[in-house]
Amino acid sequence: MTQGARGVRDLHVTRSPGPRVRSGEAAGASVASRIVEAPLPNLLVLIDLRDGVPTEPSLFALSEARRVAHDAGVTVFAVLMCDPRPEAEIERVAARLGVAGADKVLLFERVGLDAPALDATHGALLHLAAERVPPLLVLFPAGGAGLQLGPPLAVRLGAAFAAAADLEVSDSPVPLVDSVGRLCLRRWRRDLSAYRRLDPVELERPVIAVLGAHGHARDAGTPDVEIEVMETPAAGPARIIELESTVDEHAGVALASVLVVLGPTVGADVAAKLAAAAPPDVAVVDLARVPPAALVVSTPRAILAVEAAANVAAPSPRTRLGLALAPTTDASALGRTDVVWRAAAWDELVATLPRLSKGAQPEQREQDEQGEQGKQDKKDKKDKKDKKDDTP
Amino acid sequence: MKIVVCLHAPRGRGDAPPPALGTDDAHALGLALAFGAPHTVTALLAGPPTDAAPLERALAAGAARAVRLVGEDFGSADFHTLGQALGTAIKRLGGTLVLTGARSDDDGLGAVAASIARHVNALHVACIEELTPAGEDAVEITVRGGGRRRRLRVPLPAVLSVVASGPGAPDLPTLESRGEGPLPTIEILSLVDPEATVVRRRTELLGQPELPQRTTEEATTAEALVTALAR
Repeated sequence: MTQGARGVRDLHVTRSPGPRVRSGEAAGASVASRIVEAPLPNLLVLIDLRDGVPTEPSLFALSEARRVAHDAGVTVFAVLMCDPRPEAEIERVAARLGVAGADKVLLFERVGLDAPALDATHGALLHLAAERVPPLLVLFPAGGAGLQLGPPLAVRLGAAFAAAADLEVSDSPVPLVDSVGRLCLRRWRRDLSAYRRLDPVELERPVIAVLGAHGHARDAGTPDVEIEVMETPAAGPARIIELESTVDEHAGVALASVLVVLGPTVGADVAAKLAAAAPPDVAVVDLARVPPAALVVSTPRAILAVEAAANVAAPSPRTRLGLALAPTTDASALGRTDVVWRAAAWDELVATLPRLSKGAQPEQREQDEQGEQGKQDKKDKKDKKDKKDDTP
Repeated sequence: MKIVVCLHAPRGRGDAPPPALGTDDAHALGLALAFGAPHTVTALLAGPPTDAAPLERALAAGAARAVRLVGEDFGSADFHTLGQALGTAIKRLGGTLVLTGARSDDDGLGAVAASIARHVNALHVACIEELTPAGEDAVEITVRGGGRRRRLRVPLPAVLSVVASGPGAPDLPTLESRGEGPLPTIEILSLVDPEATVVRRRTELLGQPELPQRTTEEATTAEALVTALAR
């Protein structure tokens, strides 16, 4: 057995309707009753809360985990780190996470955890979660703490790391023991010349990855999710001191599922029209004004570059890259792209921009859902057939 | 304060020659040099002599020392290996504040700084934008995250990755503006010792390469463009 497969032998968690379980209890006799023979890979998703509500990319990451969970046989854990809250509020958040795809919520509560995550304040707790539930994969949502907490966790676990990745069920012919499927992550090389595929079983170690903001959660789960309250060590003396905290006016860039970047030759009037036409999940940014720190954490479903290169943010392989160019602009210097449009007039783009929103693509959404349902039906049929074949 | 700035030789894109410094590396170096005297800046790079251009540029910009780390073939090493090697070198050089470019490694993973921090037992903060000294034993940084833009006081030792604060490269001093006679030579640091025997390439951690099967299509209308992007 590979180290990767060994590392994921852990818990089989039975969903129960909403009870909080102290991790001390779970670590004791009760946990023994939950351990089953088959190794079930664990997948952890760190939840990014804003004003007490999970971000859309967090829910999307959970739904991606749920999408592959059935085929790959993984257990999906949502990791929640926050200030102490009333039980009803935690249960409301946990129910939302369950609907998005979590099998179980690992809850760390301590004063100060609502603050934006840093390795010094949150890293040790995430490591604790990974020790408690040894992961095959740890996923961070786009716009969350992936770049702050992901690399240090990868270093602590000796894991691989991918900063803008897609989660896929592996087409490897060799499944895990007991026919559990395999997962892999795919990312671009920096110059977008090739992909890199990360298979935790091949690597024999976990993979830590930041997923993109590729749309809405599919909500294929159930609100009946168990909350395990993790024993949270008291914070040590504050080593990093916050001197000032202001709202990040560019925070929406990382959470947007479509990014429209405007090059320096785009006029202010066109920029204003595009910004006004953009639906809420589409961010329109002027490359000369948006800080690179806002772009490095942006992995949207689509990037449309208007008179600019499309690979300015952090695209994942599933990110569609498009160029909208004036008739005379040379496209060859602008790098890889999936589609190019030569604009006779920018007003045509302004009029069409709202259709870039995921919500405005009902056919696509239907196809996604039908695709998932189709896969589920196929799997159910196969399970039924296997069961029938096993019957003497 | 002894500041070490870890640099990486940027790769060229297409036919264009690579710049001497990557954008994030240049910002990291600029922030370090802005500390001024009595703080000292050492530029550090792991790689072969052909990758030494960033060190030459750092010396021209005002770095007191430039050190090239030799040993393994670092060209395709993963971040664990590179961080361990650089951490070993930093322990020898004695830096208390270590800066790296946030996306400087070949694959732009931004994970080398975290690996260095573990090996030198220092705090780690990623993707900082601004940096100023706060006495001899701390720095003040600006970093985004969780919907906030925060100014933090970070005690040393610390390893910080720097993301460019603007779209272009910063205006670093040139050799002419330095005007202090001959430049110091680039020092060589070898890791050929027992500690280095655990340093080995683990390229598989970067993932298996795959060629993308994607082509570029021409859209004739904005409608077709949007449809292609939504696919």
